[in-house]
Amino acid sequence: MKEINWNYPKTLADAAKLVQQENVVPHGGGTGLLLRNLSGIDGLIELSQLPLRYINVTNGIIEIGSMNTYAEVVSVLMKVDPEHILVKSLRNSANTPLRNRITIGGSIAMFPPWSDLVGTLLALDADVMLIGKNDGQFPVEEYINDKDVRDKSLITAVKFNLSKWRSYHYRDIRTKSDYPAFNITILLKQIMNKIEDSRVIIVGTVKKYSRLTIIEEYLINRDIGKINIEEIEKLVEVKFAGKRIEDPEYSNHLASIELGRGIEQILRGH
Amino acid sequence: MEGAFTVNGKNKKFTFTSDERLLFTLRENGYTDVKNGCQEGECGACLILLDNKPVNSCQVLTASAIGKNIKTVKGIGDLHSPHIIQRAFVETGAVQCGFCTPGMIIASYALLRDNPDPSEKEIKNGLDGNLCRCTGYMKIIEAVKLAAERLGNGVVE
Repeated sequence: MKEINWNYPKTLADAAKLVQQENVVPHGGGTGLLLRNLSGIDGLIELSQLPLRYINVTNGIIEIGSMNTYAEVVSVLMKVDPEHILVKSLRNSANTPLRNRITIGGSIAMFPPWSDLVGTLLALDADVMLIGKNDGQFPVEEYINDKDVRDKSLITAVKFNLSKWRSYHYRDIRTKSDYPAFNITILLKQIMNKIEDSRVIIVGTVKKYSRLTIIEEYLINRDIGKINIEEIEKLVEVKFAGKRIEDPEYSNHLASIELGRGIEQILRGH
Repeated sequence: MEGAFTVNGKNKKFTFTSDERLLFTLRENGYTDVKNGCQEGECGACLILLDNKPVNSCQVLTASAIGKNIKTVKGIGDLHSPHIIQRAFVETGAVQCGFCTPGMIIASYALLRDNPDPSEKEIKNGLDGNLCRCTGYMKIIEAVKLAAERLGNGVVE
């Protein structure tokens, strides 16, 4: 194993220069890095001395520094909005010691198929703030789909609107500490008796994630009394890789039932 | 590589490779109270407090711990001067083979420091990163309850 050169920048400007070098990778909590082979890496950038551990709420926009851990985000958001979808998705992720180590930035950059974070951020239409080769604000969706946006760039923060959604998050696990085979995020906005807006994301599919626009379109502008859960379940058609669960068809069946349950729970509280 | 960090109140310089995990650096330097279990962050046997937060030392690259504060189970209490939590584990029979115990004590210590009067559900959540293959967990939960009762709302330190 060749030596990895560790860098300890003290300013964001230094980190922005370092991240543009070949084979030099940011190190946040390290849990994602340890799952991959480090032998192809020439250098690591230790981010813990940078001012990236903060959470600000200004004019209804929340900005979370990329070095915040899952535990820190849950702890702060619990005070702002205990029913927030990120509280629901992150508080059960992994286990207590890992939640003290997994960072927001690392989780977005790595985006593993069991991610409890990225689906939720996609549903929230969140943006990432980048420095390095690409400097500025980019939608999370663009960041995860565009290699050029990710290339030689460091996530410094994630931003999203703190608007009030009614929400549901489901992790498909067999034991509490299991990696989810897939997870579902549902966000609904209701005005009077109608659904005004909706977001439905499943993570863990063949293409890593799927946005179920067919379900979103079914729900939007529909009278709550006319929402038929069985109809929704029939609309779910998601391709799973079948690597972690034996049968992709069975996974689709499970996802459709859980999605129906989630919508039922949001609308009718059971 | 070389780097210094504080273990159980003593600042020391350590030598390690650039891809070494903190678990191995600690054990190779005599801190064998940090147990080597799954090496995947699943079992909690290698739990330590890193800057006061319980983390799996198998999931920490040593080079990222430079300048930080580490506490192992012996930093909480030892045979000659056991902590109330350690006494509670012994008295309730929460220790059988003992392999998971250092991690369990660290997790309990962090839990009771932040939440002096946890419910059973909160205890289970606080210890959700620690596996035990002997006791079936009931006695461990009893031990945490007993320690919480004895500590009252007092400082865990």
